[in-house]
Amino acid sequence: MEAVVVADELQRSYGDTDALAGVSLSIGRGEVFALIGPNGAGKTTLVRALTGTTVPDGGSARVLGNSPETVDRDRLGVLPQDFSPPDRLTARELLAYYAGLYEEPRDPDAVLADVGLADAGDTWYENLSGGQQRRVCVGTTLVNDPDVLVLDEPTTGIDPAGRRTVWRLVESLADAGTTVLLTTHDMAEAQRLGDRVGLLADGELIAVGTPEELVTTHAGSSRLTVEIPTPDADTRADADPPTPVDPATFADLEYPIDVRTNAETSTVVVREISPTEIASVVTFLDEREIEYTELAWAEPDLEDVYLELADETEVARTGRAGGGTGATMAETEVADPNEGRESP
Amino acid sequence: MSRLRRIRAEANADWRSFVRRRTAVFFTFFFPVILIVIFGALVRTDPGSGGGGGLFAEAPGYYVPGYLAVVVLFTPLSRMGSEVARHREGNRFEKLATTPLTRGEWLLAQTVVNAVIIGLASLLILALVVVLTGAEIVFSPLLIPYVLVGVVCFCGVGAMLGSYTDSQDGAIAASNAIGLPLLFLSETFVTTEQLPGWFEPLMNLSPLTYFARGVRAATFPEAGVGDLAGLEPALGNLLVLTVLAVGFFALGAWSIPRTD
Repeated sequence: MEAVVVADELQRSYGDTDALAGVSLSIGRGEVFALIGPNGAGKTTLVRALTGTTVPDGGSARVLGNSPETVDRDRLGVLPQDFSPPDRLTARELLAYYAGLYEEPRDPDAVLADVGLADAGDTWYENLSGGQQRRVCVGTTLVNDPDVLVLDEPTTGIDPAGRRTVWRLVESLADAGTTVLLTTHDMAEAQRLGDRVGLLADGELIAVGTPEELVTTHAGSSRLTVEIPTPDADTRADADPPTPVDPATFADLEYPIDVRTNAETSTVVVREISPTEIASVVTFLDEREIEYTELAWAEPDLEDVYLELADETEVARTGRAGGGTGATMAETEVADPNEGRESP
Repeated sequence: MSRLRRIRAEANADWRSFVRRRTAVFFTFFFPVILIVIFGALVRTDPGSGGGGGLFAEAPGYYVPGYLAVVVLFTPLSRMGSEVARHREGNRFEKLATTPLTRGEWLLAQTVVNAVIIGLASLLILALVVVLTGAEIVFSPLLIPYVLVGVVCFCGVGAMLGSYTDSQDGAIAASNAIGLPLLFLSETFVTTEQLPGWFEPLMNLSPLTYFARGVRAATFPEAGVGDLAGLEPALGNLLVLTVLAVGFFALGAWSIPRTD
């Protein structure tokens, strides 16, 4: 596949902070590359380095065979993060304004229809809802029918229906050969749109692959979550710690398990279990007369990948786990409730 | 030409944005009007009385460049300063940097809009000055290039202010801090004789001085503005102002941020 966007060991620092610490990637024609990562990971800096709006300290970038500074602007469509266009223009006037900057612009009304705002063309930008405003902003990137589309968090603030309109739009553009780089915090968006997904953390691209590859490699196995009410739960602040479910109770199950407990429930997570094996766990619980209030099976997804990988950098930065599947289980697993307490 | 189309698109968007801000439109024209009413009608000029002293001791026609300078100087400084700051805050320059529009084209489009606004305000000012103060002036065609070149010059300065201040508030404060001294120390309302001798070379550093001297030479010949470098004062000062305008415009365009 012809590489349309190429980053080679891109580096960019702000003071002591390495926003980009040697990022390399290659995006092919018609490919959608979704960039995910925590706030401050360097996503926007990477977007800026690839669009010529920041000058990297090291490394190089190529877009359509040229440096980002010299690439033919008529072939590029960019939506910056937190972009706010002139707000006393109507949606149609805004698109006409940006269309007027290009050699062969599209009809603004056609672009309005593409972003699902055909009925809002005469409304001033400032009077549109937040989601509609963002869709107009997405529209400004389409007025020149670009070959390369760079969208920095394009669906932030857009309602689910509008988000799907944008998703379908991006998919149709990619099908027609447009190369798309987008950043997002929406894992469903990355999973649906991304032919490949890159996870950026602390300025480094720590994982790249198709969503399926990333899930297989990093997200762990499918899991069954069983919520078991804690016997004689006492929610008073000065109450004794709850008596946890004894992990040994589940020793006969053929699956790895994690147990965590709070005042009212114990959560047992049974790992590496397929849907067809759920019945065996139900039978196991019934045979031991263990009451449960909820039984939920889940396939791992990109969010698990994100939490697994990004959480490691969060822990390294803050010393606290942010909710990663593995780390959380390890951190919150209840051991002996009397450990550390003085004997009466 | 695509360049012209880009400039037209930018200017069109800026014009619409401006005229839809009614308070901005109102005060853009109200500011010079209130100044003429205060200085021209209330304080009034009083040439010759009491030995010709005081702030407004010259004939009313002498102050025409000063009244015009109010809009030629302040409107571009404050509008461009805040416009650049607004563009920075909304990441609009980041967006524009990825389009074919260049920084020079953007500034030129903004300058065209400012020229139209200031041209209209200047007509209003000239009419009011004549009506309210009884100024007897010559309506020289050179007024048009003076206003245009002045707008170009101060749009460049305003763009620099917006680029080097970190907010709209900062840009407006900076434009006031720079504009007020320039307005009163550039041979507009205060004559050279009213200032210390050592200050005159500093007046020659202000672009507004050449605007004031040139406009005065063109509209109020009785003022006796001296030749400049062997040229008639109206043309010589226009030449100097043009050179300064080209320089400040280039610096203003260069200072507009394209990268973070």
